[in-house]
Parts: sequence; structure tokens; C-alpha cells
Amino acid sequence: MTLLQLLVNGVALGAAYALVALGFVLVLNATAAVNFAQGDLVMAGGLLAAALAPHLPVPGILLLPAVMAVMAGLGLAVCAAAYLPLRHRPPVSVFISTIAVGIILQNGATLLSGPEPKSAPPLFGGGTLEIGGLVVAEQSAAIVVVAALLIGAQQWVFARTQFGRRLRATAQDPEMARACGIPVTAMVLATFAIGTACAGAAGLLLANQFFVTPTSGGDLILKAYIAVTLGGWGSVPGAVAGALVIALFEVVVSAVLSYPVALAALYATLLAVLVVRPQGLFGEAARRRA
Amino acid sequence: MTILRRTVRATAMTGALLAALAATPATAADFGFPVLVPVTGFLSLEGTSQRNGAVLALRKAPAGIGVRSTVIDTGTSPETAVTALDRAAGGGDPVLAVAASMLGTQMLAMLPLAKEYGVPLVTVSGTASITEQGNPWVFRFFPGDAVTKAAHARYVVEELGKRRPAVIHQTTAYGQSGQAHLKAEFERLGVRPVFEEGVDASAKDLLPVITKALAAEPDVLVLHLHSAPTALFIRQAAAHGVTLPVVAGSAMHQPSTAALLDPAELKGVCAETAASPVSGGSPAVEAFTAEYRAAFGTEPDAFALGQYDGMRMVLDAVAGGARTPDAVRAALSAGRHEGLAMTYRSDGKGNMAHSAVIVCYDGRSRVPAIAKRYDDVTGVLK
Amino acid sequence: MRRGLGGGLPWAGLLYAAGAAALCLYALFGATPYGLRVLTVAGVYALAAIGFQIVFGLAGALSLAQGAFFGLGAYASGILSSQFGWDFAATLPAALAVPLLVALVVGLPVLRLESHYFALATLGIAQILLLAAVNLPALTGGANGLAGVPGVVLFGRTVPRGLPLAALVWGIVAVGGLLAWRLSVGRWGRALTLVRDDPMVAATLGLDVGRLRLGAFALSALFGGAAGALAVHTQRVVSPEVLEFPVMVTILTVAVVGGRGRVAGAVLGAVLLLHLPEWLRGLERGYLLVYGAALLLTIVLAPHGLTGLVERLLPARARPLPAPRPLPEPAAPHTEPLRVEGLRKAFGGVWAVDGVSLAVPRGAILGLIGPNGSGKTTLINLVSGLERADAGRVLVAGRYATALRADARARLGVARSFQAGALPAAATVLEAVAAARLERSRGVAEAEGQGMAVLHRLGIADHAATLCGGLPAGLRRRVELARALARQPAVLLLDEPAAGLTDAEKRELAAHLRALAGEGLGILLVEHDMGFLLPLATRVVVLDQGRTLYDGPPQGVRQDRRVVAAYLGEGGGA
Repeated sequence: MTLLQLLVNGVALGAAYALVALGFVLVLNATAAVNFAQGDLVMAGGLLAAALAPHLPVPGILLLPAVMAVMAGLGLAVCAAAYLPLRHRPPVSVFISTIAVGIILQNGATLLSGPEPKSAPPLFGGGTLEIGGLVVAEQSAAIVVVAALLIGAQQWVFARTQFGRRLRATAQDPEMARACGIPVTAMVLATFAIGTACAGAAGLLLANQFFVTPTSGGDLILKAYIAVTLGGWGSVPGAVAGALVIALFEVVVSAVLSYPVALAALYATLLAVLVVRPQGLFGEAARRRA
Repeated sequence: MTILRRTVRATAMTGALLAALAATPATAADFGFPVLVPVTGFLSLEGTSQRNGAVLALRKAPAGIGVRSTVIDTGTSPETAVTALDRAAGGGDPVLAVAASMLGTQMLAMLPLAKEYGVPLVTVSGTASITEQGNPWVFRFFPGDAVTKAAHARYVVEELGKRRPAVIHQTTAYGQSGQAHLKAEFERLGVRPVFEEGVDASAKDLLPVITKALAAEPDVLVLHLHSAPTALFIRQAAAHGVTLPVVAGSAMHQPSTAALLDPAELKGVCAETAASPVSGGSPAVEAFTAEYRAAFGTEPDAFALGQYDGMRMVLDAVAGGARTPDAVRAALSAGRHEGLAMTYRSDGKGNMAHSAVIVCYDGRSRVPAIAKRYDDVTGVLK
Repeated sequence: MRRGLGGGLPWAGLLYAAGAAALCLYALFGATPYGLRVLTVAGVYALAAIGFQIVFGLAGALSLAQGAFFGLGAYASGILSSQFGWDFAATLPAALAVPLLVALVVGLPVLRLESHYFALATLGIAQILLLAAVNLPALTGGANGLAGVPGVVLFGRTVPRGLPLAALVWGIVAVGGLLAWRLSVGRWGRALTLVRDDPMVAATLGLDVGRLRLGAFALSALFGGAAGALAVHTQRVVSPEVLEFPVMVTILTVAVVGGRGRVAGAVLGAVLLLHLPEWLRGLERGYLLVYGAALLLTIVLAPHGLTGLVERLLPARARPLPAPRPLPEPAAPHTEPLRVEGLRKAFGGVWAVDGVSLAVPRGAILGLIGPNGSGKTTLINLVSGLERADAGRVLVAGRYATALRADARARLGVARSFQAGALPAAATVLEAVAAARLERSRGVAEAEGQGMAVLHRLGIADHAATLCGGLPAGLRRRVELARALARQPAVLLLDEPAAGLTDAEKRELAAHLRALAGEGLGILLVEHDMGFLLPLATRVVVLDQGRTLYDGPPQGVRQDRRVVAAYLGEGGGA
């Protein structure tokens, strides 16, 4: 029963991490750029939700679209400022430009909302549900459902719509996409907007139960990076799986081992996985570059 | 947006304040009191309290004394802290005292340099063995862990009559230092914690540690966690129907921690601290709280009050004729100061604060009441 | 062009020298104790970033362990000096040895990982070390760290902080920087850039990729350890912050903002980025916001880093081309440069090469043809060692090579070209060809002289200074041939060398190949163009679905019923 309880919490946390990793991997696929600001964008989303809440006294689920919309706009700005000027430059320069964006976000947040931890409203209610003796925070259940819906909706857009096909084509080969008449720049902007909206959603989901401070992004980018690489660089299902693995270590394994030991075990497992599968869990084996 | 408005107001006020300080015409009696605290990074909450407390105190300079003060961020690394101290004290300006970071490792790094420059460091850092380095230039205006953890453990054992505490601490400097003292104090009281574990400050879900702690069948939960993790623990414990009393570390008393929780979730929660300015208690404390709110738009905590008291004692020494850092040091180490939080005097090592209080929440309000006061506590460690 | 850590750039070099002189003058006469401290810390980060330039800039491995090496050095020196009272002269070697040991131990399994998996593995190692530092208080003092770290105590005397300490740190930066620069512009540095650009190609040029990478990783650890040791005695306390991710981010930022792969970039980046926040301190809480914006602006304006910007504004003068130098006398050709027996290789259950045997005698040109997917390129990969055979044997010049890696086979005498073309776009023709001599020559100058000799032989010496990126197809094929020939191989494996060539170019290529065969070289030639291949080949092997369909004189190919059915019938003889 306890294990089940922990599993539920682990999956809820993993679902939120998955949204963080998803935003990261979308931008990665579309631009081959590592967005180091992703963690800080999650933080910004959380603080935005916390700041909007007193003015829009509605449940989090209604706040979610507003937060995602504002964050999508922020994503466009990040893309225009930190990616587009560097798109034909060495990829490492985008590392640095997004690190700079992270610094700006973190310190901008401290200036605007102060250093205090903040809490965003719950999606539906802050109570708990009892399901067969299992105490499930309403918010945990809601996180799993909302994250699953968002991830599913995204997969649907990518797989079934003209817009999604264009996004995928851009991600696979921007030059070819351009030759086919796809507006590549617009697609890249759209990807940043979607990826940042994901970050915003994750921020809102995390900031209710786990609070948010201007410095909480640094930890999340590490987790997103680990999830995406562990799952297989560029693989969307891999990123989701990687996020779940991390959360299960944090919540389930740490119930057996102590928290620091569980973290060490996570990293040791990571190294072991890389020794056995150098291409990550869902990655394709490295092929010879032409 | 209230946050925005509040911030703008706070920033404007601070700016005006600093401008006023800076604009004080340089006279012969014009001295520097730099404020070197973390206003960015993971300790920015506590560092900002320090800064606000220091700035508020420095507003009230003694007549005829020009106060020059700049706030320099020390971030999170020892390196940034010593660089800040070099910047503040190495420029040839007459510096009488420094309001110094509450991050233990930063204090440890600054201590040797402060000795070389001969400037007193006035801090509220409760953690780390900063007053056990044999360095005469450090003055701590917040009870050290030896004091607060003694109060913490004694309240648990003597007042609540609990014999099976479960101790959950952070794996940061703050957490490890507190844990060591709690352990020693419980031992002295003849109580052995049934559970002890460190939690990373970045840990999100605390259910695993709550589960493990409950499995050890404790009769009280003793926390020594930072602000957000404390709130998270209390909330998750409440959600899972845990009715055990919780006695938390000083982070709980910070109004920003209580603000994260519903008053109902706080029922039965107590915390150690040096003081709780929002709880009032005397007209002077209430005046301080009002002034602080007006200046910065936030609620003061014990760190702000401790730093305020410390800088007030420095300024009293200056008013009393101290014109060199060494004279300030002498006054601080020999003198006595009736502060707002308590009476301060040095134990010879720079520990100025020897009182701690336990505050408790009644489940109806986020403002705690003082439940027990421990005066003249001497630490048991070293 | 962008190569090496410094390059011989008169104007840029002068500018750097002037900058260094100005910095010296500032340190000597203008700086307060505070200014000197910032300068000292900048030196510490410059040192760490120089090491990072080697592993990340030159060898192209995104190591996220550089911060961990920094921290290991800091802890080693901090613990030994504060707990045991060791002198800096003793703690510095320890601070070098500990990270070096860790690098060697973890490097072996980790360095074979590709780019981001390597980055993740190194990040994992760094995080485990951080956890250990926080949670092993008996050794490390835990999160509080250890106080009482002395300043730099050298041979019993404390180096005072301020100018002497700054001079010591920058002296070590100068020595380390010079060492790194010498290494980077030399044979080893060139070899590393080859490994970075394409590890497989580097291996076929005889370079031991694993050893080069491990060497770069180990050297970066030494620099990281030295920097950490200096940091800990500058700040006088050792605590887990030295192992935290922000240190790594700072080193990465310094390296990229300064100019990836450049020693001068590491120094410039460190001086700028460590001073920038200090210049902005007056803004109190907003200073990091402005710092972030300034960082963003810098990278947008100088995406190739500050050194890249300097070199664009002050472009290097063209270097005079080196005089050709004779290649060493080749060994007498073996009677049978290549023999392959019963070679088999399966991919996902399908036999790509299924029991192929063939021989290339001295002076022979063996044509290898077959429809697409018949296993020709796989066979070349198996022979050159880029793929492992499931069964069968490969003999190079009479010696068993089946168990050898690509670089060892290259050293036995296998040279090859690539179908897709594998010349680094940013290298000149001469550099690309000289790369083939790096493994054998005593230095870069000798390799380039010998490269010139090969270019002269193939009649392309006029293009020596041209960048490979812009070469037309015909020339590119010729440069590839030159590069393979520069290896002085026993057997040459050519994968479609005539693709995209004009008829005149094909005739020229054929003449060159005949002349080479005449000298005793064995050539295995994969080609679709029958008009080119059949008159040239001394013998022809036809593959279909991994099996040998025909092995005999070229005249017999068009008569063979099975070949016509499988290949010529559909392909039409091209």
C-alpha cells in the first residue's frame, strides 16, 4: 500500500518532469540547440501562475491556458533574442545565449517578485482523495491527467495535422523543409512557443505542491537534460520515460535508501545504462555521419 | 499586480534610502558600513532579510556621523564573499563594521581576511563553527545552533515530554550544522532519536522521508529544513493525516514560510527562533515591524531583527566614541546591548545572542505566538 | 580559418601581447587589493578553461566533468593543507594527481560514448562527487566545508595575497597556457582536431582515437585540478560550492565566449567574464540581470568568441607554403598487400557480406562492383576496420589484421577514401593531406612538407591553401586520393573515386592509378562506372547480396550470365 502510494506520487512528479523534458526535446529536435534556459522558463511559469492567481481567483486549470499563452509569447521572445541571431553559428553559442537567458530570467524574477517561495493555485482543489485506502492528493491526480493530456495533444498535433507535419519536417531537415516551401523560421518560432508553453504548464503544476523560488530552475534543467539523454537524445517517448525514471528514483527509491544515496544510485544507474546502451534507452545506435 | 506594485514600491523606497545614505555629505566623521549579504541565489530570502535589517538600522545614524553603506551581493560561493569583502574593505575607505553574510561557508572564508583588514563582521549566521575559529573579529547576533538547538531539543523533551523524536534535516550547511547540535543535545537529555535523515534542498516530494520517519514510530517530528521544504513537509504530513506534533527549525518562523500554508495546516506546529517580530510583544518590536513593512513591503523575520540589533549595537558604539574598527570591536566584545529581540553580550568568542524562543501556531492564523523563552543558554558543543 | 589554439597571427598576436602588457601594468600599478583579487580569480578560471579548451575545443568532447576536476583539486589541496599542514609544493602535485587518476579511471569506459551521452556521463560523475562531498562530513567537512585552509604556503613561506598571489597564479597560467598552446599547434593538437571533426576518418589515418581522447581528458583534468588548488587557497575555505554545476557553467561560458579551442580565448574570456559582474556591482540586485544581458549581447555579436572576433577584424596573413619534403623511402611492396578470406558480416539478421574471399596482389587493381546494397562499402569498412567482421580473416601485407582496430590496420598499410567525402570543410587542402602524415612525422612542419610533396605529385599543389569546403568534385576526389597516398599504403581502398568527375578528369585519375599500381601498390576499386573501371582493372569481383558472383578477368564480366542478370541487366552498365 505504501509502495502504491509512493508510486502514485512518483508518477505525478514524473509527469511534471516529463513536461519540462518535452519542451526541451522539442526545441532540441527543431533546432539542434540545447536550451539551457528551460529550467528557468519553468520557474518563470510557476511564478507567473503565482502572480496571476490573486487577480484571477479561478482554479489552476483555468489559469493554465493563460499561463501557457503568456509563456508561449515569452518563448517567441527567447527564440528571437537567443536563437535566431545564432542559428547559423556554432551550436555551442546557443548554449551560452540560453545560459544568459536563464540568468536574466532568474534575476528578473528575483527583482519582480522577491526571493520568497511562492505557491500556485491547485488545478482543481487542494484536498485529497481516498481511493481504496490510498491517499491521493487531488493535485497529484490532476497533474498526471493534465500532463498526459498535454503530451497526448502534442503527439496528436505532430502526428495528425498539417502544422505538425511541417514542424516535424523542419525538425528532421531544415534545409530540405525550406526547399519544400515550409516557412522554417516560423516553424522554429512555433516550436519555441510550444516548448516554452510546456515549461509554463510544468511550472504551474509543480509550483502548487512544491512551491517555486527564483532559483528553482537550476535543478530542473539538470533533470531535463538527464531525462532527455537517458531516454535517447532527441526521442520524445524517451524523454518522458527518462523523466519518469528520475522521479521514481526520487520518490520510490529514496523511500528505501536515504535521499542522497538514492540520488547517487540514480547517477550510478545512469552510468550503467550508458555502458550497456551507449545510445540511451530509446535512442538509435549512432550511425556514421556522412 | 500587487507583487509588482509592492516590489516597485520597495525598490523605490530602498533606492531613496540608499540615495539618502550616499548623498550624506562627506564629513570628517564619515564612515563605511558595507552590507555583504546574499541577495541572489538560494539564500536570497534570508540574505534580503539581513540586508533590510541592516539598512533600516543604518538609517538611524548617530548625530554627527555620516554613514556610507553599499549592499554587495555575496551570491552563494565563498569566493564571491571574499571578493566582496576585499571590495568593501580594501579600497582605503574607513570601514567601521561589516554586515556579513549568514551563509556559514562564506563567513568561514571571510574570517581570515577580516582579521587581516581588522574589521568586525556582524552577522546572523547561526550555522557553522564560525565563532570557534579563535577569530576576534566575528560577532553573531543570532543565537548559534548551540543555543537554538538546545532550546529546540529541550522544548521537545521537557515541555512536550516526547522521548521518540524523528529528526529530518537538510543536507546543506544549515542543516548539517543544526543536525549535529540537535543530536548532541538530545543525547544530553537522554533521548535517542528513532529516526534521522538528511534531505537534499532540491528534493521535491517529501512523502518518502515522511513514510520512513513514521515507520520508526516517533512521537514527535523534529525538522531542521529550509523555508520551502519546511512548508512542503508540513503540508504533505497534514495531507496524509499525520497528527504528530511538529517542532521545526528557525525557517518555519519566517512569515514567508507560513504564507505558503493554510493556517489549519499549521495547527500543532512549533518552531525555534531567536525572535518573531510579527508576533509583537513590545511596543519597540511593533514599531520595528511597522517600519520594516513600510520600507520594504514585506514581513520582517528574526534574521532581519538580529541584523538590525547588531548594526544598532555597532552604531551605539560609534555614538559612544568608537572611531576605528578596533574600537568598535572592543565595544562589541565588552559591551552589552538591549536589543529588540533580546539582550546581547559576547561570551568572549563573539556569540552575542544567548536566548531562543519557541513559537507555536494555533491553526487559525499565520502569526505564531511565543510559547517558551529560553534565556542564557550556553551551548553544549565545544 | 579556425584551427589550433593560437595560430601565427601577427596583428592579433600583437594585440594579445599588448593586452597582456596592459593587464600587467594594471596589476603592478593600478589595482587595489580588490582588483588584484578579481584578477587572481580570473587567472584561476583561465587555467581551468585552458584545460577545457583542450578536451572540448580541440578534442570536441563536451566534458561536464571539468568543474568536478576543479573541485577535486580544491578538496585535495584544501584537505591536505588544512588537516595535515602540507606545503603547497606538496599539495599541488596531489591536486594534480587526484583528478588525473579519476580521469584515467572513468575516461576509459566513458570516452567511447558519443557527444551528449559522454556529456551526461561526465555530468553524472560530477554529481556523484558533489553528493560525496556533501554527505561524507568526516572527510570533507560536509556542506559546511573545511575552514582553516591557509593561503598559498610555498616552501614554508606564505605567499601574501594581492600582487604576489596574483603573480603566482598568472605565472602558472602563463606556463600552462604556453604548454597548452605548444601542444595544440603541434602534431598532437592537429591530431585532436582530426578526432573532433571525424573520429572514424582520424582512425583510418592511423591515429589512435581512444588514446588521443584519453590524453586530452587527462590533460584537462590536470589543468582543472591546478585551478581548483589555487582557488581554494585564494578563498581560504573548501566547501561543496567548488563542485557545484555553476563552476562548470562558468568554465564553459569562459571557453565559448573567449573563443572555443583557443588558449587566448580562455584567458580573454576569463578576464572579461570575471570582471563584468564586478563592474556592474553598483546596480545591487539588478547587476546579474544586466550581466545576463551583456553575456547575451556578447555571444550574439561574437558567436565565434572574442578571439574569433579579433581574427575577423585582424585576419591572419596567408602563411607561405612550405617547401616539399621527400617522404621516407617506402618498404619494398609485399607480394600480396591484401587478402580476404571468408569474410561475413550481418546487420540485423541480414548478411551484408556473406563469405567473400579475394586477393589484391602487388601492382594489381582489383575492381569491385555490384548493385546498390550488394555489400561493397561494407566490405571496404570491414577491411579498413571501421566495422567488425562476424567471421573470416583479413591479411594486410601478409599479416593477420582481423583482430586489429582501424588505426592499427592503417599503420599496417591500409589506406582508404570515403564515398561521401570526408575532408574537413574548414581545413586547407594542405592541412587535410598533411593530416595523413601526422602519425608518422616528427612534427607539423615535416608533415606539411611531405604533404606538399604528395600534392605536387598529383598536380594539385596550386590549391594547397584552398579550403576543402569549397572544392569542386573533381578536385575533392583528387585531394582524397592525395591524402590516402600520403599514408604510403600497401593497399589503397577507393570507394567510387570517379563519381561526379568529367570524362577528362576520369582519364587523368585512371592514369594516376595505373602509375601507382606500376610502383607496386595494390588497389581495391569500388566503382559503378564500367567504362572507367573495366579498362583499368586487372581483375574484377562482382558482389550480389553479399556473395561473390564473379571473380575473374574484366573481359569476362559482360559475358557472365549471372552478372548480367543481377546487375548489368537492370543497371544498364551506366
